[in-house]
Amino acid sequence: MKTRLPDHGPVEAPKFWRTLEERIESPEARQAAHDEFLPGAVPASFDDVHGLPAGSGFSRRDFFGLVGAAAAVAATVACDRKGQGTVVPYTKRPVEVTPGVANYYASATHEGRRVYPVLVKTREGRPIHITGNDEHPGVKGKTSPRTLADVLRLYDPDRLRAPKAGGRTIGWAEAEGQLQSALRSAKSSGKAVLLVSGAVVSPSRKALLADLKAALPTLEHLAYEPAAGDAAEESAKASFGQPVDLQPKLDKAKVILSLGADFLSGEDPEALAAWGAKRKLKHAKEEINRLWALEGPLTLTGTNADQRFPVAPSRLAAVAFALAKDLASKGVSLPAGADLSAISAQSEVPAKAWSNLVKDLQHAGQHAVVLCGAQMPAEAHQAAHLLNAMLGSVAVAARPAEALATVKDLETAAKAMAEGRYAAAIFWDVNPAYTFPKASAWKEAVAKVPFKAWIGQVEDETSAQCQVLFPENHWLESWGDFSTPEAAVLQQPTVGTLYDTRQGEDLLLGAIKAFGATSADDYHAYLKARWQKSLPLATSFEQALHDGLAKGEEKAASPAFKGASVAAAAKSAAAAKAQDLELVLFPGFATHDGRHANNSWLQETPDPISKMTWDNPVAVSVQDAQALGIQEGDLVSLSLDGATLTLPAVIQPGQAKGVLALALGYGRSTGGVAKGVGVNAYPLLGLDPASANVRKGARLARTGARKELSRTQSHHRMEGRDIVRSLTMDEFEHHPQGHHHVPELVSLYEDQKFPDHKWGMVIDLAACTGCSACVVACQSENNVPVVGPEQVARGREMHWIRIDRYYEGELENPKVVHQPMLCQHCDNAPCENVCPVNATNHSPDGLNQMAYNRCVGTRYCANNCPYKVRRFNFLEYTSYKTEPETLAHNPEVTVRPRGVMEKCSFCVQRINDVKIRAKGDGRAILDGEITTACMAGCPSDAIVFGDLKDPKSKVSQLVAASRAYRVLEEVGAKPAITYLADLKNPAGEAIVGGSHAH
Amino acid sequence: MADLIRTPIVGRATALLAGPFLLGQKALSLVFPQAKDASADPPPEPALRISITPPEHAIKRRG
Repeated sequence: MKTRLPDHGPVEAPKFWRTLEERIESPEARQAAHDEFLPGAVPASFDDVHGLPAGSGFSRRDFFGLVGAAAAVAATVACDRKGQGTVVPYTKRPVEVTPGVANYYASATHEGRRVYPVLVKTREGRPIHITGNDEHPGVKGKTSPRTLADVLRLYDPDRLRAPKAGGRTIGWAEAEGQLQSALRSAKSSGKAVLLVSGAVVSPSRKALLADLKAALPTLEHLAYEPAAGDAAEESAKASFGQPVDLQPKLDKAKVILSLGADFLSGEDPEALAAWGAKRKLKHAKEEINRLWALEGPLTLTGTNADQRFPVAPSRLAAVAFALAKDLASKGVSLPAGADLSAISAQSEVPAKAWSNLVKDLQHAGQHAVVLCGAQMPAEAHQAAHLLNAMLGSVAVAARPAEALATVKDLETAAKAMAEGRYAAAIFWDVNPAYTFPKASAWKEAVAKVPFKAWIGQVEDETSAQCQVLFPENHWLESWGDFSTPEAAVLQQPTVGTLYDTRQGEDLLLGAIKAFGATSADDYHAYLKARWQKSLPLATSFEQALHDGLAKGEEKAASPAFKGASVAAAAKSAAAAKAQDLELVLFPGFATHDGRHANNSWLQETPDPISKMTWDNPVAVSVQDAQALGIQEGDLVSLSLDGATLTLPAVIQPGQAKGVLALALGYGRSTGGVAKGVGVNAYPLLGLDPASANVRKGARLARTGARKELSRTQSHHRMEGRDIVRSLTMDEFEHHPQGHHHVPELVSLYEDQKFPDHKWGMVIDLAACTGCSACVVACQSENNVPVVGPEQVARGREMHWIRIDRYYEGELENPKVVHQPMLCQHCDNAPCENVCPVNATNHSPDGLNQMAYNRCVGTRYCANNCPYKVRRFNFLEYTSYKTEPETLAHNPEVTVRPRGVMEKCSFCVQRINDVKIRAKGDGRAILDGEITTACMAGCPSDAIVFGDLKDPKSKVSQLVAASRAYRVLEEVGAKPAITYLADLKNPAGEAIVGGSHAH
Repeated sequence: MADLIRTPIVGRATALLAGPFLLGQKALSLVFPQAKDASADPPPEPALRISITPPEHAIKRRG
């Protein structure tokens, strides 16, 4: 759909809007609302149903003629007795496995420096679902959307299944022999060996690398994380004199200022949970935090801010230093040596709001915290460190960390390779051939290294440049350990290796053994020996393995802030001017740095803000789009420093003028799913670590061509009714229901009777950040199929839960509310009345349930559903799956075929599981015992599920809250889901720390 | 992906014609069985085996 922005004055806008078309009330938007479904969603003809070109002349009569002939012959053949399978019982049943009963293992994984302690559900030996480890004091049972989806990577059909050399499959002995011989000759010749890996956050891996270094002194190790943000690393060295890992402690924060930081994106479940805990208010006198956001692109954190101001990233540091100067002028002491004389007054934030921000930070003092986005320039990080030091913030902890290499270090390594310095290079779980900005220079440099080995799971751009490829275990098949501030975390395999793969650590251990430097048989033994030495006496290794961790506070001292580092950064920040277009390169929500690009669950999860799937368009501000004449879906050419990309554009409300935003991690050239999806933005990354991700001087021009966007934001619309509510604190205190009134409901039907239970759900919009962890958790739990970009563009995505993102207010800086929308399990369900075959009906405990084998696919129910939450299998979406992928299926949930309607079941399999166990124990079901997948996956506990018939249940109490409302209550469907209105706490009228601040 | 399933008309028509042909051939072979050349069949692909238990493990909970 074309979107031409208005070139006249302000327009009368509806209060909430989802798309630019809705905002400007274009004729297309009105037509789309009238049509109910997208034009392509519902097949219009026989050709369309069967995927034939329009006007093929192939009629339904022809089709049945051929089918009839085939059926006659098939009937003849069917007389033969064949294809009889045999069910064979276990002759030696593993003691751990009871068919039909799940086993849960505690394990862990990491992404960069962030550690995720998890609990893995396995069925008959297959890991099928991941949640956070509830025993870990930090994450408390929560994890990130990408970790939830990582179970699919275990079953990736593209995984390398045996070692390879020169394109042919070889045995491990031969492959290891080649590696060890190369290392031996490097050692004897005194030439260097390069090892490039990801971040080292495992103490045992660190010890192993130290052992390897001792055995091979010429080893040079680079730990490179393309998404970690080189600027963050550089600024930490300047501000603290060493690399640090900054961990927000938002449970202690009353005022939070974000400088382009996206800590509510779901990546940090601990921060998200702590923020959310202070938003779920029962009454207006309770303590609520306040979030300020200054940022260029609209981030998920920005959408949840109480007050947000668009600021170009290149100006963030100057604005933040101005804040420090103003605080200093009001008596907040500057650290010794901090010189801000170069800083002048800022003009980005309006004066009144600025004054409120200064007062807020000063009032909150040590309970205020300033967080800076990893991709923001180094000076902005230094300003954030300064502000935290001035405020004495207790809401952020700086932990000493292992150093990460920057893009500059990689460039130095490339030059050294080109000069023939290295005898061998090992690339372990990294893909510099893809992530290094100058790919051709990298390729030429690598070609000069005599021996190159690659350790990884799926062959990639880097493996193509190596002689020997070592297939690596998935982390669910591996041993490992991690250190977190609250506990030492253990990673245990949850399944034996699916293929002939090994851990990278085992390979290195083999190399160390070849030098005669260790006696450990394998990495399991190596790690166990280290743990047994360091564990507290009261804890056995078996207990730590069971719990997934050994508790114990970390004793590392926090490094002190160096005030003297401020002067140079402030001077540089003061000189920075926003000019031309500046491009911000950030890790993709789905792909991160590209490592998740082959995961179809993540590719199809809509970006929480743009709602794009399967692509990374460049986001352009409303003002720039108007100036450049760009419309949504226009193919544009984006040029910077001699590199040019051609990609689609989207117009992003709220994005700062002069700022372009583009996600990294797309445009891969390998991988069955990843190949060709989006464009590779790494060629635009800078080689200056201080501002590698924020680049000035970008040029954008229309090419005249267009691309269809696989974007979900205009799907399943509900025509501007009273769907989403957002209250300020003042409104919450005095008019929690606003101008809305509960309509008097009259029904022709008798009320439903619920003899034992009546399941219901409450969703608190104030705590929901839109992180989409619920979407991924539901996909994993309920075997929700992936349909691909073409089907998404036609409005046929299959997610049972979607997050609707609503804007409110002006295009340039709108407020945003996120609303999870799923089947409302209505008591008077409009879908049930119209089903001609009673395939959808009501259970005695209030579930709107589906009998898949009874559904004939009339789609009447989807038409009649006011919430647009029913999903139809237009095609056989699961038939493409081959053996390893099907192993990711949850055996407790039916895989739906073509022609069948499906939707959220309130995780009926989980309800029945608890019911059966409670019955077996002869007891009642406990409140909170049943958790739906979305509820368990939600990091901020915004979703609560329970029995509405039990007046003491949490869900019953929340239903009676003053912020409670039901969506489209006037329709009379009596939904079982209650929403609690969103809360915004802007300065000037609200409450901080239980008292009016201003 | 799903769009692969949307095969063009030629592919679909071929499948519709090839189906009856192959089934008919199978029907005839039932009536007139031929001696099987044992060496002609390639060995079957080994099925993916899941080794259920890693060498050392601790189940946190069941159910």
